Amino acid sequence: MTESPILGRVVATERKPNTPHEFHFWTALDAPVGIGTIVRVASERPISGVLPTVYGVVTEGFGYTDLQTPLHDVLGADGVPGASAIAPTERTEIRLYTAAVLRHVPEEPLQPVPMGTVHLATEQDVQLALRMDSYLQPGAARGIPVGMYRAGGTQAAVHLDADFLLGPEAAHLSISGVSGLATKTSAVEWLLGSIFAHFPQEKGGVAAVCFNVKGPDLCFLDQPASSLSDDERAMYAALKVPAEPFKDVQYYAPWTAKGFQLATLRSNEALQENVQPLTWGLRETLQYAEVLLNKDDVDAKADALIDFIKERVLDQAFSDALFDAPVEVRSFADLEKWFSTLLRAMESRNADVWRTHHVATIRKVRNRLTNISTRCRGLVTDDGSVSDLPFGAFRDRAVYVVDVANLEEDAQDLVFARVVSQLREYLEKRQLGVSQVVVFVDELNKYAPADGPDTYVRKMLLDIAERGRYLGLVLFGAQQFRSQVHRRVVGNSGTALYGRMDPDELATPGYQTLAPATKARLATLEKGQLMVRHPHFGQPIFVRFPRPAVLTGREGVERFPQAEELPLDAAITKALRRLDPSITLSWVQDSIALAGDSEDDILRARNRTLQTKPDDVKAFFRAQLKKRVAAEPARRGPAPLRAGPPLDDPYGG
Amino acid sequence: MRARTVPGEPLVGIAAFLDGIQRSHVRAHLQGIPAVHGAVAAAVRLRTDRRLSAWAPPVRSHALYLPQPLFDATDYAALASRCAVVDTLADHDAAQPLPRHPGDLAARALTAVQRDRERAEQALATAWVRERTDPLLIDGGIAGTEEVARSPQVVGVVKSHRTLYVAGDAMATVLGLREGERSTAVVVASPRRTPIATWYLRLRDAGARGPFFGLVRVEIALEAPDGITARADLVSRWLLAERAPVALPDARWDVMVYGIRECEQYLTSILQ
Repeated sequence: MTESPILGRVVATERKPNTPHEFHFWTALDAPVGIGTIVRVASERPISGVLPTVYGVVTEGFGYTDLQTPLHDVLGADGVPGASAIAPTERTEIRLYTAAVLRHVPEEPLQPVPMGTVHLATEQDVQLALRMDSYLQPGAARGIPVGMYRAGGTQAAVHLDADFLLGPEAAHLSISGVSGLATKTSAVEWLLGSIFAHFPQEKGGVAAVCFNVKGPDLCFLDQPASSLSDDERAMYAALKVPAEPFKDVQYYAPWTAKGFQLATLRSNEALQENVQPLTWGLRETLQYAEVLLNKDDVDAKADALIDFIKERVLDQAFSDALFDAPVEVRSFADLEKWFSTLLRAMESRNADVWRTHHVATIRKVRNRLTNISTRCRGLVTDDGSVSDLPFGAFRDRAVYVVDVANLEEDAQDLVFARVVSQLREYLEKRQLGVSQVVVFVDELNKYAPADGPDTYVRKMLLDIAERGRYLGLVLFGAQQFRSQVHRRVVGNSGTALYGRMDPDELATPGYQTLAPATKARLATLEKGQLMVRHPHFGQPIFVRFPRPAVLTGREGVERFPQAEELPLDAAITKALRRLDPSITLSWVQDSIALAGDSEDDILRARNRTLQTKPDDVKAFFRAQLKKRVAAEPARRGPAPLRAGPPLDDPYGG
Repeated sequence: MRARTVPGEPLVGIAAFLDGIQRSHVRAHLQGIPAVHGAVAAAVRLRTDRRLSAWAPPVRSHALYLPQPLFDATDYAALASRCAVVDTLADHDAAQPLPRHPGDLAARALTAVQRDRERAEQALATAWVRERTDPLLIDGGIAGTEEVARSPQVVGVVKSHRTLYVAGDAMATVLGLREGERSTAVVVASPRRTPIATWYLRLRDAGARGPFFGLVRVEIALEAPDGITARADLVSRWLLAERAPVALPDARWDVMVYGIRECEQYLTSILQ
């Protein structure tokens, strides 16, 4: 092992004794040591023939002189502050540090830290101190770089243990920090890149599902960063992570309320290749009706009727004496029709109760359920068309971004609940396509608040936090205030990252174990710095990480301005052209004019076309419109040659 | 003797500070005879960029101080084989009866320890004057060794005034010195010591705190290239510059310069 020069000496007094978990040392005034520096104590007294070595991280620092009281300095300077500066001798001064023990070698017997010399930790020391040696050794390489430890000239890569970050030993990550310092999202983007580069192949595939809940934060993950400094590139190289954007990213966004285009800030024409609609029908929505209906809405009676609809009505031919003919309910429109028929029939027979359900309950459930398609317009379709994440066909090292930034809160909850539940279901059956999925949720305090009502989403998050690691379902949650997130969620996060913290937050009980100096450093962390807690690390460690190699949201919206809102025909043209570049605006206008359908019907035809992705797009689209246009059957077969867009077309190119 | 204001502003001129300390404890009484453990240390603290550090290794010694003639020769030899032993009656006049009173014997041991401390200080002072040409401030007088007493770069500062080198009107002049004033220099000569020049200097305003508050006596070599008056003025300016930082919390802070206090602290820590 490379011996580093002596930095200081361990000291212990009766008032400040050393313990097995804490020790004190002094250094020269100009020693390159500070809060967060990792040091090694070389003992001079062997125990059972072995010289103990202790690793620690500096958590507190003290400096004082031989003055007993400030008054003495006043006296010495005759009350003139400037006089002290010209004194021929500087007072004896001390730099005394407290360090928290990271590791004893050997581990037994566990004794108070012995007297000895203190050295700056070398790269090898950092590995040993953080117990990374157990998972970085050849043959057991499970290290996921989280950043660089830098202090006093030492640079060392800090790795997390994949088994403790993504399961099965522990899992989940919680990241906290004040907003606006590009820490939380950047850190997650960087860490995902690192996971994709280092997650052992033999452990199976890994993918990420990221919920973009605000602005354009995650909208440009497949675009390279505008510039990375030499230092950042060096950090990428040292940590063996390619400084490049994610190669496989798929975006999902619901339609806007009008339904003409997708509700996402990634609407620039040049970026539409991997953007898909996210739409659900009645079946998908009703399964999670609980998310949208609160306890006041749904009592036991209403719940019973909803269950009845789910089990006996949905997606099957429903027959009843009140109905003239069997009814099939596949969409919200069908459901509305079913309710109307039922209530009309009850009225005509003056019946208050149908199959034990009171008419008032039926009216209430009708009102609440049919209202969902309005509340979640753009996401939930009346016609039942579905465009969803590729559950069952997730790709290794792919990122699936679900952009819900423009959805109402209820709809966001629905998206969140359904996507995560589906992931869980597929992972349980080992049919997702990958063995681990990282689910990144920003503003976790909103979805799993420490207090407030016990919502479906919160219950689901608690379940993931407590049991997800066995399935490979890993939660990466970000929040400004960790104290505002349910303690069982943060408590089950094996790894925690902290960016710059709000001082008020640091005053909450969750941070009591941190020394005041560590808190002070946390309150002033620069961009690109993190404090890391990990099960293998005996104490929190400060690291630096490079800016993610992807375009930031702010730069992205400047470089790729949002597409203007288009009229219906142009929006249809734009959408269909992704499947067939030869489609022109005039062709779409002709098709729509000839069909004479309502806007909803035209949008439905578009949605079905996008969902089916037929080989002959034109024929299929027209076939979806009413039969006023001579529809060509949708054929599957050899793909026809696709021409490029006409040069004179205003939406071409 | 006259009082004169030190001309010019305080001036930083001292390069290093020399002091020594001693510890003595009666460890046991052997056949009624006190066995005193004595420890002495001395060091020079060199000032570089306003910070003090050790110049040359400090001198340290521990010994058992015993009156050899009062011990059985075998017992004394046995002790001497296990630790350093100093005979406290080595310079006893054989014509006089040997002292037997434990109090007298302990006092002799203390004197022996003190003598060893002075030797340690003198050894360092001698080393300094042989190797260096810049000024050394010694805590105490400089007349212990001739080589040091004749060196122009040595300044002795005496803080206590058990012996006053003035009398009559001159005493009134000295006790009436105001801050920044010194007395005219006089020569102190004795048959067994090298003559030196000495004067009193008031470092701090005494106010109502007594005539000795802030009063030191300074010793320098008698031979000064520019004359004693000019040298005394210059050295006084050096000492006035050493009033800051104040040597508090030491009780003698009014007369002690910070360099000496720091040296004492250093010695205390290495002697433990």
